[in-house]
Amino acid sequence: MLLEISDMRVHYGKIEALKGISLEVDEGEIVTLIGANGAGKTTTLKTISGLRPVSSGSIRFQGKNITKVPGHKRVLLGIGQSPEGRGVFPGMTVHENLLMGAYARKGDLSKDLEEVYGLFPRLAERKTQFGGTMSGGEQQMVAIGRALMTKPRVLLLDEPSMGLAPLLVAQIFDIIREINRRGTTVLLVEQNASQALQLAHRAYVLETGQVLKSAPAADLLNDPEVRAAYLGGDLGQPEEETSETG
Amino acid sequence: MKTAVEKPAKSGNPLTGARRGFGRAMDRVRDRWADAPWWQRWTVYVLLIGLALILPSDFFASFMSPHTHWPSLLFNPIGVYILLAVGLNIVVGHAGLLDLGFVAFYAIGAYNMALIGTKFGWNFWAILPIGILMTAVSGIILGAPTLRLRGDYLAIVTLGFGEIVRIIAENTDAIGASRGITNIPHPPNMFGLEFLLDPLPYYYLLVGVVVAVIIFARRLERSRVGRAWTAIREDEDAAEIMGVPTFKFKLLAFFIGAMIGGLTGVVWASKVIAIQPANFPFILSATILAAVVLGGSGNLPGVMVGAFLIAWLPERFRGLADYRILAFGAALVIMMALRPEGLLPSRQRKAELSEGSGTEASAEVGK
Repeated sequence: MLLEISDMRVHYGKIEALKGISLEVDEGEIVTLIGANGAGKTTTLKTISGLRPVSSGSIRFQGKNITKVPGHKRVLLGIGQSPEGRGVFPGMTVHENLLMGAYARKGDLSKDLEEVYGLFPRLAERKTQFGGTMSGGEQQMVAIGRALMTKPRVLLLDEPSMGLAPLLVAQIFDIIREINRRGTTVLLVEQNASQALQLAHRAYVLETGQVLKSAPAADLLNDPEVRAAYLGGDLGQPEEETSETG
Repeated sequence: MKTAVEKPAKSGNPLTGARRGFGRAMDRVRDRWADAPWWQRWTVYVLLIGLALILPSDFFASFMSPHTHWPSLLFNPIGVYILLAVGLNIVVGHAGLLDLGFVAFYAIGAYNMALIGTKFGWNFWAILPIGILMTAVSGIILGAPTLRLRGDYLAIVTLGFGEIVRIIAENTDAIGASRGITNIPHPPNMFGLEFLLDPLPYYYLLVGVVVAVIIFARRLERSRVGRAWTAIREDEDAAEIMGVPTFKFKLLAFFIGAMIGGLTGVVWASKVIAIQPANFPFILSATILAAVVLGGSGNLPGVMVGAFLIAWLPERFRGLADYRILAFGAALVIMMALRPEGLLPSRQRKAELSEGSGTEASAEVGK
């Protein structure tokens, strides 16, 4: 197992946000966490990347217990994250944002930059534009590209479809598939459940801080309970599920 | 597809027009400067230092300060405020940590100079590094437990720290309580300058210190440390997951800011002979913060201009007697209303403040 979480509990003050979550991500997979608002999806990712402390339970990465390792050191181990709300540095140019992704490591970056610009030709056109002045879709590209610059073994993506038009969501999801094809494991958090389930190999359904269900993504797409709760029930086909546009 | 550069609609208001004109002119100067070859920059640096050296002359005094002794004014408050503002700029402008108790470091530096100077009779140059080190350590003592807080909470704790330092000084008999410390020694003479009652030698000393601190601050800003600070200021969580040890770098900002605050305190105390706790009120922290924000937080030339104006305007308005603070306040309000990002904001800072303007979904459908 590349990433193994067992019985992880996280508190915000006295409120228990994660009530004992266990999940596993294997090398080469795309795993998605779906669930409603407040289910604990973002908290799970933030805890894996080290932005939130664990109250109990453990996180193991490549067999090593990293529960107590601070966030900035987890990057070096190979955990890259594109955070909630993108978190692009607004006063840095696109290029500087990407270079920040490589802040913690040394060596020649030109090949990695070339790869990111290859994945996102749009960013290559806008190297010198400030992050803060870009559109939502472009910022999402910067956030993913910047996470790739950390050379992650596993890439944590927090709601890459948030606030984007449907066409752009499809484009971002294609790129995620391509990133995975090139060998990076992906752990994806999404509200846009139907799209996420179509992309992922396996999925976990989270509800109020607990894992409700876990199964191959294709099975969940046809699961009546999941369909009713997250895919708009019988009202529509999963393909017609619209993304939230901002 | 719109390229998101600020191109505001034309306004009928002539004041708005003038304001935007000024903004554009400043932007052009800044961009020219960014592209200028090294010899042009150095020429300007040398000219500026030359200007600083001839600034105390009667010629400048006649129109800069008709009411007050100009060289005294140049040392304190102008020089002192500039140095404090450069220090606070590292904490507030670079690392983005709101510090409302910066005066504490100034006080600790000054008390180090006063105490060691009077009790052990040490020389100014021997006390200087000790004073700087002690304030830097106090910066760590303040920062280590409090830097886990963010934003407003951090501001409140630092405000408390500033008050604690002053109140301790007021209530500790060993350091003179509210009477403070008197008979602080002056720096020894050097280069034919006699450090006695004439403010001029102190002014030249301060110019030297300011130049050294600016070089130091500039180098930091352009280093890996500076980039880490920028990342922390813009998005702390994102910085952490890029591998920036955010806590360590925030502590470093406090450390270096405190060093510069302490340095200012040592230099200032070596001139004034006597210091009291009342010299370090909260309002001084607030004034220096106002200088940083007014000038353009994060931009070194802007911050210095801001500090200069904050220190100089009340003295320039002295002819208005009781109304001078009113005029000073009005000048601040007008400047901030016209230039909300500060008089000389950095390009980066402007982009940060305009964040969100590009996030509407409208722009991304037509591709």
